[in-house]
Amino acid sequence: MADNEVERLTQAISLTQKLRTSVTRVFSDLSDGYHISQGNEKASLNVLQKALLTVNDNYSDLEKLVPNLNSVNITAPNSALVGIDPVYDKTPIYSQITHAHKWTNKVHKLADYASAILSPNQLKRTHQGGQPLAIKRQRKTPHAHAIPPQGVDQCISALERLWSDMPITLSRPMGNCAVLQITLSRTLRALIVLRGLLIESVIVKAYSEDFLTPEGKVDLWSRSRYQVFNKVTDMVTAATLHFCHPQMPDLSLRSFLVWFNSYKTLFSAPCQKCGKHLQGAFPPVWRELRTATPQHDGCRQT
Amino acid sequence: MMGVVCVYAYNIPEGKSGQQVVDSLQKQMDIIGATKTGNFCVDCETYQSHPQNAQQRSIHILHNSEQPATCFSVLDSGTVLVSDMLFDLIMNTMTQAKSGREGFFQQRKGFKIESRGQRYELADFVIKIGSVSLMANFKGVLIEVEYCPSQVPGDCWNLMKEILQSIVGNTADTPPSYIKTKMDSLYTPADTINQYLEHFNAFRKTATPGQQNR
Repeated sequence: MADNEVERLTQAISLTQKLRTSVTRVFSDLSDGYHISQGNEKASLNVLQKALLTVNDNYSDLEKLVPNLNSVNITAPNSALVGIDPVYDKTPIYSQITHAHKWTNKVHKLADYASAILSPNQLKRTHQGGQPLAIKRQRKTPHAHAIPPQGVDQCISALERLWSDMPITLSRPMGNCAVLQITLSRTLRALIVLRGLLIESVIVKAYSEDFLTPEGKVDLWSRSRYQVFNKVTDMVTAATLHFCHPQMPDLSLRSFLVWFNSYKTLFSAPCQKCGKHLQGAFPPVWRELRTATPQHDGCRQT
Repeated sequence: MMGVVCVYAYNIPEGKSGQQVVDSLQKQMDIIGATKTGNFCVDCETYQSHPQNAQQRSIHILHNSEQPATCFSVLDSGTVLVSDMLFDLIMNTMTQAKSGREGFFQQRKGFKIESRGQRYELADFVIKIGSVSLMANFKGVLIEVEYCPSQVPGDCWNLMKEILQSIVGNTADTPPSYIKTKMDSLYTPADTINQYLEHFNAFRKTATPGQQNR
């Protein structure tokens, strides 16, 4: 179909060229003038007539071909249309374009800065070692989210035995996804939603609060009444990214819980950096990711 | 549900009136960034069993605006009964003489004492500055600091000490004597009431005429 069209187009172009040459010849002959000898007028006229006939033939050939051609849309960029705008001097298009151009430059510059700042921070969900290792790992599909419920049950019951002060109860209020409810000493309660063994969300509340809706179902969304636990929720959610490891989901969950266990001293441990308990009426809500030492949110950033 | 509460009596310096102390404390609350969240009141009335009974016993009835629907009854032994507000009505009928008999309890005259004042919130802390009055006579200032997220006094004592010391000074170097015995157990509203009662009893004993009408 497309080939046909192209063929017809080339044909049309060649026919147009032919028509052009024949017309040019007629006119050039006419402009050059004829050398007419006596009694030869008729021959000269014949020549002219022949030339005109060729023009006519070529023209009718082209005319026959034209109805078969589809009109071709020339999709020009919008800026190309500026040229055919008769009053383009009066439209603000030029200044707008320069403005947009400036902004694009600015965005580009800022994006450069941002990427320079972000690249040293390793907040990636995947840990990639050396180059060959990374290639090898990329081929494996992550399966952390697709672990069968029995596997999850086994893993959790193994984890549960590790801490005596951190009972874990597992329930499945909405089908396949496991929901862990953790009571950490007498300090706080946490609710962890898992997909397979991948941590989907964590909510931390006070020891005196519970995770039940007024209808008695498990409440996956509401936040704590107390500001300090909402801060802890944010911190812990950020830390799940650090602990996430798609290839070794059980290990990642386990190391997360080991780290999370350090929150039992939320109210009793002073900040490791400034040695005080309170900073702006908040206890040290952050636990260092590797050493699990308590720090204030403010001290962490310095 | 509530957090851990520490109640301290504020030492009123010589030559200052109670109102001046309360004003300066309220100013201090503004400076540390606490927001006013209304008023509070803790009141206490004392009843005595009728003399005809062999053993004379007294019972303290307390109300706390933090638990507005609850009535706390405390015996001298320290036993606390936490009940509904309706208990007040029962107490009423028990004090009334009926069909020739006198009531089981008598209200002790001149023993109604209360702490009343502003309530402040600072993040998860609730701070209350109350001026104590016994029969409309000013007796002193009580400061209550509550840390709501925790329920174990032993866990959060050091943390509360920091904020308490900034308000009441060195008095807060050690926990209130009542809390000392409860460091490792879960805190309940009844523990707050016991602390208040301890302070109220102390204030009643210091009923010297020189301190009145300050």
